Amino acid sequence: MSRSKPERRHPQPTLALEVPSQTTYLAMIRELTRHMAALAGFDEAVAGRLALAVDEAATNTIEHAYGGAPDRLVQLRFDDGADELRVEIIDTGATVDPRKVPSVDLDRYVKQRRTGGLGVHLMEKIMDSVTFRRAQGRNICCLVKRKDGSAGTP
Amino acid sequence: MGELTVETRESGDVTLVYPAGFINAHTVRLFETEIKRALEQKRFKLVVNCSALSYIASAGLGALMGVIEEIRQNGGDLRLANLNETVLNIFEILGFHHLYRIFSTEMEAIRSFRPAADTPQ
Repeated sequence: MSRSKPERRHPQPTLALEVPSQTTYLAMIRELTRHMAALAGFDEAVAGRLALAVDEAATNTIEHAYGGAPDRLVQLRFDDGADELRVEIIDTGATVDPRKVPSVDLDRYVKQRRTGGLGVHLMEKIMDSVTFRRAQGRNICCLVKRKDGSAGTP
Repeated sequence: MGELTVETRESGDVTLVYPAGFINAHTVRLFETEIKRALEQKRFKLVVNCSALSYIASAGLGALMGVIEEIRQNGGDLRLANLNETVLNIFEILGFHHLYRIFSTEMEAIRSFRPAADTPQ
Protein backbone atom coordinates (compact mmCIF):
# COMPACT_ATOMS: atom_id res chain seq x y z
CA MET A 1 0.00 0.00 0.00
CA SER A 2 1.42 3.36 -0.96
CA ARG A 3 -0.47 5.31 1.65
CA SER A 4 1.33 6.11 4.85
CA LYS A 5 -0.58 5.52 8.02
CA PRO A 6 -2.66 8.62 8.73
CA GLU A 7 -2.29 10.29 12.04
CA ARG A 8 -5.19 9.81 14.38
CA ARG A 9 -7.14 13.01 14.48
CA HIS A 10 -10.63 14.15 15.09
CA PRO A 11 -12.82 14.32 12.02
CA GLN A 12 -13.09 17.83 10.68
CA PRO A 13 -16.44 19.56 10.59
CA THR A 14 -18.08 19.79 7.20
CA LEU A 15 -16.71 22.54 4.98
CA ALA A 16 -19.07 24.01 2.40
CA LEU A 17 -18.42 26.75 -0.09
CA GLU A 18 -19.68 28.05 -3.38
CA VAL A 19 -17.62 29.10 -6.36
CA PRO A 20 -18.69 30.67 -9.65
CA SER A 21 -19.26 28.29 -12.54
CA GLN A 22 -16.05 29.29 -14.31
CA THR A 23 -13.17 27.05 -15.22
CA THR A 24 -10.70 29.58 -13.85
CA TYR A 25 -11.74 28.38 -10.37
CA LEU A 26 -10.85 24.74 -11.08
CA ALA A 27 -7.28 25.21 -9.93
CA MET A 28 -8.52 26.61 -6.62
CA ILE A 29 -10.94 23.69 -6.23
CA ARG A 30 -8.09 21.28 -6.87
CA GLU A 31 -5.82 22.91 -4.30
CA LEU A 32 -8.59 23.05 -1.71
CA THR A 33 -9.41 19.38 -2.26
CA ARG A 34 -5.78 18.40 -1.96
CA HIS A 35 -5.58 20.30 1.31
CA MET A 36 -8.77 18.75 2.70
CA ALA A 37 -7.59 15.28 1.71
CA ALA A 38 -4.29 15.87 3.52
CA LEU A 39 -6.16 17.02 6.60
CA ALA A 40 -8.21 13.84 6.39
CA GLY A 41 -5.00 11.82 6.57
CA PHE A 42 -4.42 10.82 2.97
CA ASP A 43 -0.88 10.92 1.70
CA GLU A 44 0.24 13.32 -0.98
CA ALA A 45 -0.22 10.95 -3.92
CA VAL A 46 -3.75 9.93 -2.93
CA ALA A 47 -4.65 13.53 -2.11
CA GLY A 48 -3.52 14.51 -5.60
CA ARG A 49 -5.75 11.89 -7.19
CA LEU A 50 -8.73 12.94 -5.07
CA ALA A 51 -8.14 16.49 -6.24
CA LEU A 52 -8.22 15.27 -9.83
CA ALA A 53 -11.54 13.48 -9.24
CA VAL A 54 -13.13 16.60 -7.77
CA ASP A 55 -11.68 18.73 -10.58
CA GLU A 56 -13.38 16.38 -13.06
CA ALA A 57 -16.71 16.52 -11.24
CA ALA A 58 -16.62 20.32 -11.08
CA THR A 59 -15.64 20.48 -14.74
CA ASN A 60 -18.65 18.34 -15.66
CA THR A 61 -20.90 20.65 -13.68
CA ILE A 62 -19.56 23.80 -15.33
CA GLU A 63 -19.48 22.44 -18.87
CA HIS A 64 -22.52 20.16 -18.93
CA ALA A 65 -24.99 20.96 -16.14
CA TYR A 66 -24.52 24.71 -16.62
CA GLY A 67 -23.59 24.47 -20.29
CA GLY A 68 -20.69 26.87 -19.81
CA ALA A 69 -22.81 29.65 -18.27
CA PRO A 70 -20.37 31.63 -16.10
CA ASP A 71 -22.90 33.20 -13.72
CA ARG A 72 -24.04 30.14 -11.78
CA LEU A 73 -22.70 28.58 -8.61
CA VAL A 74 -21.01 25.29 -7.90
CA GLN A 75 -21.31 24.17 -4.31
CA LEU A 76 -18.70 21.94 -2.72
CA ARG A 77 -19.17 20.10 0.56
CA PHE A 78 -16.32 18.25 2.26
CA ASP A 79 -17.25 15.89 5.05
CA ASP A 80 -14.28 14.30 6.80
CA GLY A 81 -15.78 11.33 8.60
CA ALA A 82 -14.07 8.76 10.76
CA ASP A 83 -13.85 6.19 7.99
CA GLU A 84 -14.09 8.15 4.79
CA LEU A 85 -13.79 11.51 3.10
CA ARG A 86 -16.97 12.48 1.30
CA VAL A 87 -17.08 15.31 -1.25
CA GLU A 88 -20.30 16.51 -2.80
CA ILE A 89 -20.40 18.69 -5.89
CA ILE A 90 -23.80 20.31 -6.19
CA ASP A 91 -25.40 22.39 -8.91
CA THR A 92 -28.81 23.65 -9.93
CA GLY A 93 -28.29 23.17 -13.64
CA ALA A 94 -29.65 20.74 -16.17
CA THR A 95 -29.79 17.12 -15.22
CA VAL A 96 -27.01 15.27 -16.94
CA ASP A 97 -26.99 11.54 -16.44
CA PRO A 98 -23.33 10.56 -16.40
CA ARG A 99 -24.33 6.90 -16.40
CA LYS A 100 -25.31 7.39 -20.02
CA VAL A 101 -21.68 8.03 -20.80
CA PRO A 102 -20.52 4.80 -22.43
CA SER A 103 -17.66 2.96 -20.80
CA VAL A 104 -14.34 4.12 -22.08
CA ASP A 105 -12.76 2.08 -24.85
CA LEU A 106 -9.57 3.93 -25.71
CA ASP A 107 -9.20 2.43 -29.17
CA ARG A 108 -12.75 3.36 -30.08
CA TYR A 109 -12.24 6.84 -28.68
CA VAL A 110 -9.19 7.34 -30.83
CA LYS A 111 -10.92 6.07 -33.96
CA GLN A 112 -13.86 8.38 -33.34
CA ARG A 113 -11.59 11.27 -32.35
CA ARG A 114 -13.60 11.75 -29.21
CA THR A 115 -12.17 14.10 -26.66
CA GLY A 116 -14.71 13.96 -23.83
CA GLY A 117 -16.21 11.42 -21.49
CA LEU A 118 -13.00 10.56 -19.74
CA GLY A 119 -13.83 12.50 -16.59
CA VAL A 120 -16.42 10.13 -15.16
CA HIS A 121 -14.18 7.21 -15.97
CA LEU A 122 -11.32 8.83 -14.05
CA MET A 123 -13.57 9.61 -11.09
CA GLU A 124 -14.68 5.99 -10.89
CA LYS A 125 -11.13 4.73 -11.09
CA ILE A 126 -9.96 7.01 -8.30
CA MET A 127 -12.85 6.95 -5.83
CA ASP A 128 -14.40 4.09 -3.88
CA SER A 129 -17.86 5.37 -4.68
CA VAL A 130 -19.28 7.81 -7.24
CA THR A 131 -23.00 8.49 -7.15
CA PHE A 132 -25.28 11.00 -8.84
CA ARG A 133 -28.72 11.97 -7.66
CA ARG A 134 -31.27 14.70 -8.22
CA ALA A 135 -32.97 16.22 -5.18
CA GLN A 136 -34.94 19.43 -4.73
CA GLY A 137 -33.90 20.80 -8.07
CA ARG A 138 -30.24 20.12 -7.46
CA ASN A 139 -27.79 17.67 -9.00
CA ILE A 140 -25.60 16.08 -6.37
CA CYS A 141 -22.47 14.23 -7.33
CA CYS A 142 -21.09 12.41 -4.30
CA LEU A 143 -17.51 11.15 -4.23
CA VAL A 144 -16.33 8.93 -1.40
CA LYS A 145 -12.85 7.69 -0.55
CA ARG A 146 -12.40 5.31 2.33
CA LYS A 147 -9.52 5.80 4.71
CA ASP A 148 -8.66 2.17 5.27
CA GLY A 149 -7.43 1.76 1.72
CA SER A 150 -9.18 -1.59 1.51
CA ALA A 151 -11.10 -0.82 -1.64
CA GLY A 152 -10.73 1.20 -4.73
CA THR A 153 -7.77 1.69 -6.96
CA PRO A 154 -5.36 3.11 -7.39
CA MET B 1 4.76 29.81 -12.97
CA GLY B 2 1.45 30.81 -14.52
CA GLU B 3 -1.41 28.48 -15.24
CA LEU B 4 0.01 27.24 -18.54
CA THR B 5 2.51 28.28 -21.14
CA VAL B 6 3.30 26.20 -24.21
CA GLU B 7 6.48 26.66 -26.20
CA THR B 8 7.47 24.72 -29.29
CA ARG B 9 10.83 24.03 -30.89
CA GLU B 10 12.02 22.02 -33.83
CA SER B 11 14.66 19.33 -33.89
CA GLY B 12 14.95 18.26 -37.51
CA ASP B 13 11.58 16.90 -38.51
CA VAL B 14 10.49 16.47 -34.88
CA THR B 15 8.44 19.17 -33.20
CA LEU B 16 9.06 19.54 -29.49
CA VAL B 17 6.21 20.83 -27.37
CA TYR B 18 6.85 22.17 -23.87
CA PRO B 19 3.74 22.65 -21.74
CA ALA B 20 4.62 24.34 -18.44
CA GLY B 21 2.06 24.56 -15.65
CA PHE B 22 -1.11 22.55 -15.63
CA ILE B 23 -3.62 21.42 -18.24
CA ASN B 24 -7.24 21.32 -17.22
CA ALA B 25 -10.54 22.46 -18.76
CA HIS B 26 -9.47 26.07 -18.28
CA THR B 27 -6.09 25.89 -20.01
CA VAL B 28 -6.53 23.09 -22.53
CA ARG B 29 -7.32 25.34 -25.50
CA LEU B 30 -3.83 26.78 -25.49
CA PHE B 31 -2.31 23.31 -25.51
CA GLU B 32 -4.61 22.18 -28.32
CA THR B 33 -3.81 25.28 -30.34
CA GLU B 34 -0.08 24.63 -30.23
CA ILE B 35 -0.48 20.97 -31.20
CA LYS B 36 -2.78 21.85 -34.07
CA ARG B 37 -0.44 24.55 -35.27
CA ALA B 38 2.20 21.88 -35.80
CA LEU B 39 -0.25 19.67 -37.66
CA GLU B 40 -1.29 22.55 -39.92
CA GLN B 41 2.36 22.86 -40.84
CA LYS B 42 2.33 19.16 -41.75
CA ARG B 43 4.63 18.31 -38.91
CA PHE B 44 3.41 14.98 -37.64
CA LYS B 45 6.31 13.87 -35.47
CA LEU B 46 5.78 15.38 -32.06
CA VAL B 47 7.41 14.99 -28.68
CA VAL B 48 5.60 16.51 -25.73
CA ASN B 49 8.21 17.21 -23.07
CA CYS B 50 6.32 17.17 -19.78
CA SER B 51 9.20 18.12 -17.49
CA ALA B 52 7.42 21.32 -16.43
CA LEU B 53 3.90 19.88 -16.54
CA SER B 54 2.65 19.56 -12.99
CA TYR B 55 -0.81 18.17 -13.65
CA ILE B 56 -3.14 17.06 -16.42
CA ALA B 57 -6.89 16.47 -16.20
CA SER B 58 -9.08 14.58 -18.64
CA ALA B 59 -9.45 17.68 -20.79
CA GLY B 60 -5.76 17.46 -21.62
CA LEU B 61 -5.89 13.72 -22.17
CA GLY B 62 -8.85 14.25 -24.46
CA ALA B 63 -6.83 16.79 -26.42
CA LEU B 64 -4.12 14.17 -26.97
CA MET B 65 -6.69 11.61 -28.03
CA GLY B 66 -8.33 14.05 -30.39
CA VAL B 67 -5.25 14.38 -32.57
CA ILE B 68 -3.46 11.04 -32.38
CA GLU B 69 -5.42 9.34 -35.16
CA GLU B 70 -4.74 12.18 -37.62
CA ILE B 71 -1.07 12.17 -36.65
CA ARG B 72 -0.67 8.44 -37.17
CA GLN B 73 -2.66 8.45 -40.40
CA ASN B 74 -0.05 10.86 -41.67
CA GLY B 75 2.81 8.61 -40.76
CA GLY B 76 3.75 10.41 -37.58
CA ASP B 77 3.33 9.92 -33.87
CA LEU B 78 2.96 11.88 -30.67
CA ARG B 79 5.36 10.70 -28.00
CA LEU B 80 5.86 11.86 -24.46
CA ALA B 81 8.92 12.46 -22.34
CA ASN B 82 9.84 13.46 -18.78
CA LEU B 83 6.50 12.75 -17.15
CA ASN B 84 6.55 13.37 -13.44
CA GLU B 85 5.06 10.77 -11.12
CA THR B 86 1.72 12.57 -10.83
CA VAL B 87 1.22 12.89 -14.56
CA LEU B 88 2.45 9.37 -15.28
CA ASN B 89 0.02 8.02 -12.70
CA ILE B 90 -2.88 9.77 -14.40
CA PHE B 91 -1.81 8.28 -17.72
CA GLU B 92 -1.68 4.84 -16.15
CA ILE B 93 -5.08 5.16 -14.48
CA LEU B 94 -6.67 5.64 -17.89
CA GLY B 95 -4.45 3.18 -19.73
CA PHE B 96 -2.89 5.93 -21.82
CA HIS B 97 0.54 4.33 -21.43
CA HIS B 98 -0.75 1.68 -23.84
CA LEU B 99 -1.73 4.30 -26.40
CA TYR B 100 1.35 6.49 -26.31
CA ARG B 101 5.04 5.77 -26.19
CA ILE B 102 6.55 7.34 -23.11
CA PHE B 103 10.26 8.04 -22.68
CA SER B 104 12.38 9.04 -19.71
CA THR B 105 14.15 11.78 -21.60
CA GLU B 106 13.48 14.10 -24.51
CA MET B 107 16.55 12.81 -26.34
CA GLU B 108 15.29 9.23 -26.19
CA ALA B 109 11.95 10.35 -27.57
CA ILE B 110 13.60 12.26 -30.43
CA ARG B 111 15.89 9.35 -31.24
CA SER B 112 12.91 6.99 -31.33
CA PHE B 113 11.81 8.73 -34.52
CA ARG B 114 15.09 7.91 -36.23
CA PRO B 115 14.64 4.65 -38.17
CA ALA B 116 17.68 2.87 -36.76
CA ALA B 117 16.63 3.54 -33.22
CA ASP B 118 12.95 2.94 -33.71
CA THR B 119 12.72 -0.15 -31.62
CA PRO B 120 9.88 -0.83 -29.22
CA GLN B 121 10.57 -0.05 -25.60
